[in-house]
Amino acid sequence: MMWLSGGFIFRKGYSFYHRLDPRAKLLNSALMFVTTLLARSIFEMVLVVAFMVGLSAAATVLKRVARTMAFTALFSGFIFVVNVLFTRDLETSVLYATRFVAIVVSTSIFFITTSPDELEQVMKMFRLPRDVVFAFVTAVRFIPVMMLDTIQIMDAQKSRGLELEKGNLVRRVRNMIPILIPLVVNSVVRSGELAEAMEARAYGAAPKPTSLLEYRARRVDIGVACASVVLFALAAYSFYFVIPVQFP
Amino acid sequence: MGDILKIEGLNFRYPESPRNAVSDFELSIPEGEIAVLAGPSGCGKSTLLRTVNGLIPHMYGGEYSGDVIVAGSSVKGSSMRDLAQTVGFLFQNPENQIFMFTVERDVAFGLENLGVPREEMRSRVDEALRLLRIGDLAQRAPHELSDGQKQRVALAGVLAMRPKLVILDEPTSLLDPKTASELVTLVARLREELGTTFVVVEHRLDLLVGVADRLVVMDGGRKVLEGSPRDVLFGDDAEAHGVAIPAVTRVQKALTESKGGRAVAGGLLTPSELASAVEGRRR
Repeated sequence: MMWLSGGFIFRKGYSFYHRLDPRAKLLNSALMFVTTLLARSIFEMVLVVAFMVGLSAAATVLKRVARTMAFTALFSGFIFVVNVLFTRDLETSVLYATRFVAIVVSTSIFFITTSPDELEQVMKMFRLPRDVVFAFVTAVRFIPVMMLDTIQIMDAQKSRGLELEKGNLVRRVRNMIPILIPLVVNSVVRSGELAEAMEARAYGAAPKPTSLLEYRARRVDIGVACASVVLFALAAYSFYFVIPVQFP
Repeated sequence: MGDILKIEGLNFRYPESPRNAVSDFELSIPEGEIAVLAGPSGCGKSTLLRTVNGLIPHMYGGEYSGDVIVAGSSVKGSSMRDLAQTVGFLFQNPENQIFMFTVERDVAFGLENLGVPREEMRSRVDEALRLLRIGDLAQRAPHELSDGQKQRVALAGVLAMRPKLVILDEPTSLLDPKTASELVTLVARLREELGTTFVVVEHRLDLLVGVADRLVVMDGGRKVLEGSPRDVLFGDDAEAHGVAIPAVTRVQKALTESKGGRAVAGGLLTPSELASAVEGRRR
């Protein structure tokens, strides 16, 4: 599970794509997302996926995107089976199944290459309330801390004789209770301390807080954004007017 | 110089608590001092600190009487916004006061909240990073830092707001001995360079006696001893209130008792003082 979920977590990267303005990356991913919805045949879908694979390779995140694909393949298999059962149409079923993978990949590319700092910036751009943005920021910030907490608690409980890997499913789930309770208690204590520290550093003092970082679109960002729009228009045009479609 | 902190007849009781956490407390600290607050766990140290930066009474309710005056204004009557710029508070666990994904963003956190313009913020952040000598960590994520580095980052975030008074709540409790003594050196240096007043809660007095001007001992919510570290530690009562007497002082006390007061002269607190006293006798 840990290996598979790696497909959505940001890690530092230095490719040209990583360094793009988050807005350009968001626009590009959004357009790729819509393109997957426009594709009406397997051939078109293959084109879209091939483009995303090429882009991932250029952004040096192909391995992690492959993980995302492997992860979503499980669900897409399910979609395929259900579609075959209900529509009895193999081609449409394959199309839907690959479309699901393609949709997830298009968003995954954005999340893999966009740092939490940039995500915060994007959320602010959408004028989400400061509290909501800050809740998101702290949630992401404390993921590694909570993971470390969990490992420590598991070790502590194991050393006191808790056997996590034993018994049937019900028993295993019940075994998680001694892990979860200290974890929740820890988090509650932690949130109290965070609240104090926020107060001590004037959280909410100014009606309009400022930001240390400034995102100013450079030429390359505008170039990439324009290229995405042109490619999108091309794809949409050719899907509907150039590539013949034989729907059954 | 005037008093940066003045506590007058302070009493505080948490809601639904049978007794006062702080009782009849009086304290004056002149600007530019390093004051150490000691006392057994649960004696009200943390509560007292929270009355200084305004978390009490602004965030916690309870019965509050008396007054705390920081830099001339009463804490009761000041907003958390104003207090945050006068009183810096370094909490015990640095982990829980780092909010952002990169060090420099976190140092800027308080300034962003105050709405400081970007250019000024940039120069104040850089200054804080330079003061704590962590410029090379500016782009690191919090989970990539050691405990000592986290402590410095948290302190940089506090100092970027340019407080006149900085409170350190058991700052060395999570640090190894070497990092802990580096932190004490740092505090002494910051006092010299910036003239900041420090109030430090600390159990490991060995580390601080060399730089502290004042030692205040609390027990049961009350102030029981106050004076220069030398006076307090060589008095008869310090040990009874659970204060950890520095090893050098204990050595001297033992020598004085066994040799009828002729062993080594003067109240000794630090190893270097002991060394020079011993050298002096040998000559």
